[in-house]
Amino acid sequence: MAEKSVGSSILKGLIKLSLILGLGFLALHFLKGALPAPTEDGYRAFPVLGSRVWVWIIAQLHLNFAAFVLGVPIFAVSMEFVGWKKSDERLDRIAYDFTKLFTLAYTVTAIMGSVLLVSLPLFYPKFIDHMMKILGPTWWAYIAIMYGEVIVCYYYYYSWKKMKDKKGAHVFLGLLLNVFGTVLLLATSAWVGYMTTPGGVSPDGNLINRWQAIKTYMWIPLSLHRLVANVVFGAGIAAAYAAFRFITAEKDEERAYYDWMGYTSAMISIGFSLILPGVGYLLGVEIYSFNEQMGIQLMGGFFAWLWVMQAILIGAILFFVNYYLWISLNKMPGGERYFKYVKYLFIVVLLGYVVWLTPHSVALSLGEARKMGAYHPALGNLGVMAAKNTAVVISYLATFLSYSIFRISNKEPQVSWAKAGHKTRAAIIIMSTVAVLALGVYSYMVPAAVRVKVLSPIQFGIFFISLIVLYVLDSRMYKGAKIIGEPKWGKMPERSQYALIAITVTFTWLMGMMGYMRAGGRQHWHVYGIMKDTSPGAYLPTHGAALVIVSIITIIFFLLIGLLFWSIMRLEKASEAKGKR
Amino acid sequence: MKSGVLKLSIIVIGLSLFFTYIGVYFLPQSESHPPKVIKIEEGITQDELLKLGEEIVFGKGECMVCHVMKTEPGMRSPAISTIGGDMEKEAKQRGITPEEHLFESLVNPSAYVGKGFDDMMPPLHESPTSLTEGELVAVAAFLQSKGGKVTAAYPESGPALKAQIQKAGGK
Repeated sequence: MAEKSVGSSILKGLIKLSLILGLGFLALHFLKGALPAPTEDGYRAFPVLGSRVWVWIIAQLHLNFAAFVLGVPIFAVSMEFVGWKKSDERLDRIAYDFTKLFTLAYTVTAIMGSVLLVSLPLFYPKFIDHMMKILGPTWWAYIAIMYGEVIVCYYYYYSWKKMKDKKGAHVFLGLLLNVFGTVLLLATSAWVGYMTTPGGVSPDGNLINRWQAIKTYMWIPLSLHRLVANVVFGAGIAAAYAAFRFITAEKDEERAYYDWMGYTSAMISIGFSLILPGVGYLLGVEIYSFNEQMGIQLMGGFFAWLWVMQAILIGAILFFVNYYLWISLNKMPGGERYFKYVKYLFIVVLLGYVVWLTPHSVALSLGEARKMGAYHPALGNLGVMAAKNTAVVISYLATFLSYSIFRISNKEPQVSWAKAGHKTRAAIIIMSTVAVLALGVYSYMVPAAVRVKVLSPIQFGIFFISLIVLYVLDSRMYKGAKIIGEPKWGKMPERSQYALIAITVTFTWLMGMMGYMRAGGRQHWHVYGIMKDTSPGAYLPTHGAALVIVSIITIIFFLLIGLLFWSIMRLEKASEAKGKR
Repeated sequence: MKSGVLKLSIIVIGLSLFFTYIGVYFLPQSESHPPKVIKIEEGITQDELLKLGEEIVFGKGECMVCHVMKTEPGMRSPAISTIGGDMEKEAKQRGITPEEHLFESLVNPSAYVGKGFDDMMPPLHESPTSLTEGELVAVAAFLQSKGGKVTAAYPESGPALKAQIQKAGGK
């Protein structure tokens, strides 16, 4: 499939993008004339669903695909680089497979973007007029960069085999692709940042300074958060793809490759997810700096219960990851030596989950909570952030241990200080757990500001330092270690692959819910404090109703992703058949 | 291939249904609507004003996002149950009338920040809260009723409120 001429492939890509955008503009022009004029306050109604739900679904689907096509190139080029430097063909193949995935996903992303492009000015014309007035130039820059990205992306993918002897130049193309992707991300984050934490405008919405309207409180932290989340999500989708290919594979050789691809992708996804709480914290700090009330409303107001839901989802992801790693011990010769630790890790993760799930309060509304003036009547001590942070850190530490055990399970260290090394490892695990617990208990005795600004970062700091020290220690201790046996890639029960798919489905669902919370934080404002939303959809639905929409989005997204997987497999088969002829 | 698609579908739909079930049956369900326009007419009785003030404090004003009802350790903002009396004492210490102190705290909160608290209160007459003159007087009356003497009345307190808005640099 990649044997086509690079130039004609790029040209086809550009024509495809122009067609999608052109059709979008034509549809917009036609529908504007065909539909009734907008209401006096600037709205048109989408039939049956309502404009809000329609735009919500389309925007989230576009965002999911965009996250995928922006996230995957980051680790695809990294793997290509490592594969090139280590002369590892397998890494080059996986990087190529990742590239195949995101290149083919571009079309769906552009179609979704085009539908959104039609929907927003059609159903929210006054709001879009305002956005164009304030941030119009960024929109045109966005389209220009999108063209640049398509050119580089197609060049990068279709020249893979032709440039195999010019790896340096090819890796540079991959880097360029990521530069374009990051600029696109910055542009879209500027729009959301302006809507949520606006700047550079007068109270009645007139532009004062465009750069200030771009450089809002939320801009950089949101971009960082999205950048990391895109990698987590992109790698998750790649893991789901590998799992799907594993399940449908007919040859052992294929099963072995996709088992390895699934493992690698899942570990990239989980590894990067460790950074998310930190960048999420930065984002929270900026929202609080812009407007304390918005921050509190998001964290403890109407959305308080959705944070419990978030805990349910992240806890579920951790369980799926741990389950996958524990099953994976079976394919490691010598892995059975570590089975005995699994039950302890299970207990730790389970206890962490229970604490994390404990609601802060049982009140139904903020007013009720304030009138009660208390936390959860029975579990109050476990429901506050002091306990939750502690539980999260310890659960993550346990997950890292599951990963470490898997990594070393087929090796025996040969260094003279191996015994001391094992003892040091145990000491680090015990000391960091005790320190995190002690800080958690101390957190109850200090004001909220000290807990949030000082103690929580220290807890996460201890976690990260422990991770680094343990990783370095294991790498040194197991350098030149005796290999009991090579991992039996492909020798995994099918249920392990269900765990991989479940991680990605849960993450997609979580992304949908968090996206809703981030947008809902503006409440009844299109642009917070500047432009009111006076449409019939200007209210926050019940959590149940919102989560039904999140589920619908997740199911549609996987339907489209399934089609993508299917079309890749069809193209591969066609390519193989052509090769045989 | 077919069985792979079926398995993928079962996981996607099964997990989505499971999470939706939790969201629908285990989470509290209420909607959050934009604040209603509250009409306050001249000659409103004190009881009606207090009732409206309470409604605004617990709703449109979003005061309870930061304030607590009863004093509790680590609270971000002063407790409402004793705020009228507490503010009377502060006004006395500052040598101004309780009404001046109260209106200042609503429209120009950074001018005086209570001991032990951060400067985080937004001016309530400005966006996004944008309370009207009548609504601000109603809030002031309700707050005074919490341990203090209610002097705020509509429209009589209007000039004192406007003076504080002007002092804050507003119109």
